[in-house]
Amino acid sequence: MRNKLLKRLTSGLLITALTAATFTACGSSDNSAATLDAGTTDSSKETGSAAGFRTLDEIKESGTINIGVFSDKSPFGYVDENGEYAGYDVYFAERIGKDLGVEINYVSTEAANRIEYLQTGKVDIILANFTVTEERAQEVDFALPYMNVALGVVSPSDAVVESLDDIGADDQVIVISGTTAETYLTKNYPDIKLQKYDAYAEAKTAFENGNGVAWANDNTEVIAFSIENEGYTVGIPSLGDNDTIAPAVTKGNETLLTWLNDEITSLGDEQFFHADYEATLLDTYGADYEDTLVVEGGKVQ
Amino acid sequence: MDIDILKSYIPLYKDALFLTMKIGWQGILLSLILGLVGAAVLHFKVPVLKVITGIYIEIFRNTPLLVQLFFIYFALPKVGVKITAETCGVLGLGMLGGAYMIETIRSGLESIPVIQTESALSLGMTKEQTFIHVILPQAISMSVPGLLANVIFLLKETSVFSTISLMDLMFTAKDLIGMYAKTIECLFLLVLFYLIMLLPVSILGAFVERRMRYGQFGD
Amino acid sequence: MANLGIDVLFKGTNFLRLLQGLWVSVEISLVSVAISIILGLLVGVLMTLNKLWLKAILKIYLEIVRIMPQMVLLFIVYFGTTRVFGWDITAEAAAIFVFSFWGVAEMGDLVRGSIKSIPKIQFESAYALGMDKKQTYFYIILPQTIRRLIPLSINLITRMIKTTSLVMMIGIVEVLKVAQQIIEANRKASPNAAFGVFAVVFLLYFIVCWPISRLAVYLEKRWA
Repeated sequence: MRNKLLKRLTSGLLITALTAATFTACGSSDNSAATLDAGTTDSSKETGSAAGFRTLDEIKESGTINIGVFSDKSPFGYVDENGEYAGYDVYFAERIGKDLGVEINYVSTEAANRIEYLQTGKVDIILANFTVTEERAQEVDFALPYMNVALGVVSPSDAVVESLDDIGADDQVIVISGTTAETYLTKNYPDIKLQKYDAYAEAKTAFENGNGVAWANDNTEVIAFSIENEGYTVGIPSLGDNDTIAPAVTKGNETLLTWLNDEITSLGDEQFFHADYEATLLDTYGADYEDTLVVEGGKVQ
Repeated sequence: MDIDILKSYIPLYKDALFLTMKIGWQGILLSLILGLVGAAVLHFKVPVLKVITGIYIEIFRNTPLLVQLFFIYFALPKVGVKITAETCGVLGLGMLGGAYMIETIRSGLESIPVIQTESALSLGMTKEQTFIHVILPQAISMSVPGLLANVIFLLKETSVFSTISLMDLMFTAKDLIGMYAKTIECLFLLVLFYLIMLLPVSILGAFVERRMRYGQFGD
Repeated sequence: MANLGIDVLFKGTNFLRLLQGLWVSVEISLVSVAISIILGLLVGVLMTLNKLWLKAILKIYLEIVRIMPQMVLLFIVYFGTTRVFGWDITAEAAAIFVFSFWGVAEMGDLVRGSIKSIPKIQFESAYALGMDKKQTYFYIILPQTIRRLIPLSINLITRMIKTTSLVMMIGIVEVLKVAQQIIEANRKASPNAAFGVFAVVFLLYFIVCWPISRLAVYLEKRWA
C-alpha cells in the first residue's frame, strides 16, 4: 500500500519536474532564438522557414497560401450553406490568392487563436477582422488597413444599455475571448462582469438566449447584428478609440508584408474595397456605412 | 519562461481552480446521488423506472459532454428552458457522471453474493433494511476504486466548461493566450494547476484501492 | 417543425457537411485506435517486464495520461510544440498524436492487466517445451490477450469518437464547428436553428456511438 502510494507521489513529482524542465528549457531556447534573430536580421529573414514563417517565394513555390479567417462571423468571414467561405474578409483573401497565383487553404480561426496561428506559422496571413492594436503589433506585423472599426455595444431594445455606467453589479456583458472589446473592458471597466465565449456563433446564440444584458464587440459587428435581428438596438455605437482592421503576418515576414502593402495600395486604384463592400456588406449595412467602413488604398481618411 | 508573468497570472488561475473545483464537486455529488438512485432502481428491477434509467445511461454514455452542454446551454433556451452557465455545468457533469456511477455501483451490488440477502431476510430484516444496512455498505466499498476513477474522469471533463463561458482553468489559459500571447507560461500554469487538482485524487485512489479492495486477484 | 430550426439542415449542402464533419471525427478516432492497438500491445508487454527504469518511465507516462485532460494535451501538442521545437504539425496530426498518446497508455494498461491474468503456468509450460521468450509471447500469450482486448478496444473507439468533439478547439472543422457555421449563416432566416442543429448533432453522435458500444457489450459477454 505504502509502496504504491510512494510510487504515485514520486511519479507525480517527477511529472511536475519534467514539465517544468521542458518548459524552462523551451523558454530559454525561445529567448536565444529571439536574440539570434535580432543579431542576424537580414540573413535570417531571407530564409523565413527557420523563424517559423514562409517567405513570399516559399509560398509561391508551394502553390498554396494558408489564410486564417473566421468561419462563423457573418458578414465578414463565414461559411455559406454550400460550404464555401464568404464575406468581406474572404472576398479580399480570394483576390490575394488570385494575384499571387496560388491556391488558398482557409484555416478557420477563433478570435483568441489569431496571434498564436501566426506565431506558430500555421497560417501565412490572418484576415480575420483583426483590429490593429499596440499590444498585438508587438506580437505580429500588420499590413496597411482595409477597414475602420471602433467598439460598440448592442442590447435588447426593451432594455437598451446606453452607457457602460448603466450596467449593474450583477449584470453580465458578453464578449468574445481575444477581441479588442475584451481587452478594452478588462482594462477600462474592470468592475463589469464579462461573460466570455470562444466563438462568434456561441456568443451570439448566448446573447439571443438572454444570457447577458449586452454584447460588446467591434461596432461593425454589433451594428450588423442589430440590423439583421429584430429587437436589438446598438445603444453605444462607438466606444474607445477609432481603430483599423488590417491583415497580419508573422513578425519579421518582410517579403510577404511588403507584397501585401503594395497589393492594398494598388487595389485602391480600382476602388477594390468599395466593390468588396458592395458585394458582401451592402445587404447588411445598406449604402450609408460604405464610406465610414471602407478604407481604400490603405489610407485612413 | 518569465517568472514575473507567471506570478501575475497565478491569481487568475487560482480563481479558475476554485470555480472548476466548485462546479466539479457539485456535479460529482449530483452524479453520486443519481448513481445511487439509478443503481437501486436497476437492482430492484423497478418497473418503468428501470427502462427510463436504461435509456438515460445509453444516451449519456454515448454522447460527448461537450455536445450535451451545447444542447443544454444553447439549444434548450430556444424552446423556453433557460439556465445559467454554472447550473448547466453542474447539471451536465452530474448527468454524465450519473450514467457512469450507476454502472460502477451496480457492478458493486452484483458482486455481493445472493446468500447475504437471503441470510438477512431470514433474520427478519425487511428488503429495504437489507439493502441499506447489508448490501449497500459492502457494495460501496467494493466500488470505491471505480468511483474514484470516475471522479478523476469527471474532474478532467470539466475542461470543456470553457465553451459555455465558465472561467475554468482551460478557459483562463485560452483567454490569456488570446490576450497576451504568452503561450508557454499559460500552458505551464495550466498543467501545474491540473496537477494540483488531480494528483491528490489520484494518490487517494491508489491508497483506497489497496485499503478497500479485498478479494482481489492478479497483480 | 420549421420554428425549431430543423429546416436549415435541408438548405444547400448543410446536412451533407454535417455528416462530413462527423466523418472527420470518426476518421481521427479510427486512425488513433489503430495506432493505439498496435503500440498498446507493445507497451503492454513492456509493462510486464521487470526492468525498473522501464517501469518508472511507463508509470509516469500512464499517470500523465490519467491526470491531464485531453484538451490540455491537445493545446500543448498543437501550440506548445511549435513554440518549443518549431515543429509545424497540422491540427489533424496533433489530434491523432494526442489521441494515440492517450490510447496507447490505456491499451497498454489493459494489455498488461490481461497478460498478468494469464496463469504463470502457461509461461512455464511454454519454456519447458523449449520456446524462447519471444515465441512464448507471440504464440501463447498474445493470442489469448487479444481476444479479451477486442471488446475493450471497441469501447475505446466510442470514447475516442466522443472526445473528438474537442478538436474543434484547435481549429479542426468537425461536426460541432460545422453546426456552428450553419447556425451562424442562417441566424437571420431561422433564429431557432441552434435548437434543431444541436439536437441533430446530439443524435448523430448517439447514432454512431451507440451501436459500437452495444457491440462491445455483446462481445464482452460472449467472449468473457
